[in-house]
Amino acid sequence: MLRAAAVLAALAIGIAGCGGGDDDDDGGGGADAKKVTQAKASGDVTWCIGKDTTGAFGTVVDNFNKANPDANVTLLELPEAADQQREQQIQRLQAESDECDVLGMDVIWTAEYAAQGWLQDITDAANKRKDEFVPSTLDTALYEGKYWALPFNTNAGFLYYRSDQVPEAPADWEAVYQQGQQDNGVVYQGFRYEGLTVNFLELLYSAGGSVVNEDATEATADSQEVRDVLTFMADGIKDGAAPKAVTTYKEEESRRAFESGNATFMRNWPYAYALGKESKIADEFEITTFPGYAGNEGAGVLGGYDLAISAYSKNPEGALAFMNFATSPDQQVIQASEASLPPVLTEVYSDPTVEKALPFAADLLQAVEQAQPRPVSPVYPQISEAIFTNVYAALQGDTSPDEAASTMNEDIQKAIETF
Amino acid sequence: MEAATARLRRRPRGRDGYGRSERRLAATMLAPSLIVIAAVAAYPIGYAFWLSLTEYSLRTPGLWRFAGFDNYSEALSSPEFWDALTTTFVFSGISVGLELVIGLGMALCMHEAFKGRAILRTVVLVPWAVLTVTTAITWRTIFEPGLGLAPVLLDKLGLPGADIVWLGEEPYALGVMILADVWKTAPFMALLILAGLQVIPDELYDAAKVDGASAWQRFRRITLPLLRPAILVALIFRTLDALRIFDLPFVLTQGANGTTTLSLIAQQELTTNRLIGLGSALSVLTFLIVMAVAFIYIRALGGNIRALAEET
Repeated sequence: MLRAAAVLAALAIGIAGCGGGDDDDDGGGGADAKKVTQAKASGDVTWCIGKDTTGAFGTVVDNFNKANPDANVTLLELPEAADQQREQQIQRLQAESDECDVLGMDVIWTAEYAAQGWLQDITDAANKRKDEFVPSTLDTALYEGKYWALPFNTNAGFLYYRSDQVPEAPADWEAVYQQGQQDNGVVYQGFRYEGLTVNFLELLYSAGGSVVNEDATEATADSQEVRDVLTFMADGIKDGAAPKAVTTYKEEESRRAFESGNATFMRNWPYAYALGKESKIADEFEITTFPGYAGNEGAGVLGGYDLAISAYSKNPEGALAFMNFATSPDQQVIQASEASLPPVLTEVYSDPTVEKALPFAADLLQAVEQAQPRPVSPVYPQISEAIFTNVYAALQGDTSPDEAASTMNEDIQKAIETF
Repeated sequence: MEAATARLRRRPRGRDGYGRSERRLAATMLAPSLIVIAAVAAYPIGYAFWLSLTEYSLRTPGLWRFAGFDNYSEALSSPEFWDALTTTFVFSGISVGLELVIGLGMALCMHEAFKGRAILRTVVLVPWAVLTVTTAITWRTIFEPGLGLAPVLLDKLGLPGADIVWLGEEPYALGVMILADVWKTAPFMALLILAGLQVIPDELYDAAKVDGASAWQRFRRITLPLLRPAILVALIFRTLDALRIFDLPFVLTQGANGTTTLSLIAQQELTTNRLIGLGSALSVLTFLIVMAVAFIYIRALGGNIRALAEET
């Protein structure tokens, strides 16, 4: 009995530890957040960001430390998966830990962190450099009229297609699906996770639809556009334009299916380009920005990472100095060429080194410019769950598109109204 | 013998004639472990229960309110909870059942004396040594549509199922999850049962052979009854583990297609949605369910031990 209790207690500790109930009651929040206006390259700064798989983050840190002998930046690598990075950052922030000065955040976490009072307001610093950034990327750092972060890298999806089967990129998604049905099909990220939200929103944004209103205070998903996109996606699977297997695909599964020759089209991020050029279909595929949909122009959804200063940082000036350095043109060129991370500064896209490393740089800039942020809301994780759960149900044929749209709307509204 | 057990039964346990000083000594010696248990078990359980009665704001930092049993009524009135409960019990029942049968078979094989027995015993344990997350990733890859080992093999052999999207359809996704669990933990079951087998004296079998009992009769009348305590211990371990299953559905399907378990929904509410109150309520409910099952088992096991004591 006691042994059983101990085993269960271990579970309880694990779970309670993850949640980490915080008893603090000192505010923060949008209104009275700490402000950083001065950058000063001195003192110790710790940068907490996902795993440095290419070594490019380490390069920025070394370059900064060499250029600024008074300052010392340390890289603290978080896990590779975004969900776990968020979990670990939140654990530290809830404990008011000053361990992390600069946070590398997935663009969808900005609103949540800012609303919780975990970030310092850097509106002045961002405004000073506003013209350098691709405008859409800076929008991901905006919450309640203030800037909370600087974009560090960005991302936007592409349509990959087999140039040996399809001589010219189709003009719209309808044609992509039609062609896919005749040839080997369309693959995308249809697993029940964040990626499905992105894939759905890309079509929905093209259709001119939305899931929440402008300031994310009301759900707007029970609309004709949502029903149409859901019908389009569900029919795609039913009619065989997309294989049933896409409901288990994340990025890597789609890439493997495409590279093994099992698909004519693929929706994926730019990272699949370089890898594809080493595969057996290296000379048989091309990429293009998203085609239009429902008579409208193509639209994408922004990915990427922003850099923000933790509210509990003891050296915000040093942190800001490092953020400015990491988002400077020279360093952005290094990120693009060493790690294939799409830059956030407009001018960097025409740099010869970048054009060599990312041969599709011009297309990429266009894709990033036409992409939009996902709903900016402190409860984004729940909104996204409401989206992907119901899109998935429609893809599986468990519910009709109409039903899925109205449930999605209810779920989003419920998320928005959470205490 | 008869008299001795009767006396044992008549006397309530704990008041059986030990002196006061001995009892005090026992209490002193037990104290450290009781304190440790209180620190690592009672405190977090109590804290999780307290959290389950509260609600934190997801928008305003520091905003907190006492919610009473709201989180529980929300959990108990949501169809997701009941679906997860059903899935968890179906998963546990089938996988533990299969593990018992396969584990028993493996233990009987390993118990036989033959050349290479030591190597076999080691090799059999390998799946158990592999991390569950790694197991899950492996099985996910094996069942990858069109490219994984399973669909390719089924296709090559001309068997049905090559076209099934195993992890994308009900009830196949749960089937893969059970398969992965059985593959991983049947060896553990085998090891526990093997330990039970080894304490059965060979004389019993010799005597039975002399009496002309067949192999089946020896198995039914000697092996199984004497193995019962070991099997029950193995079943408790495995059932409690299975009821808390998290890693497999988390990696294989993220809970899609009828594989959402109780621990998975608790984790999703706690870490993804940061609904600490609701998440804690779900963990407390999981805890109570697992406790109830453990209690039933221990009653069964306790009764069994007493029955054994009376037989001998």
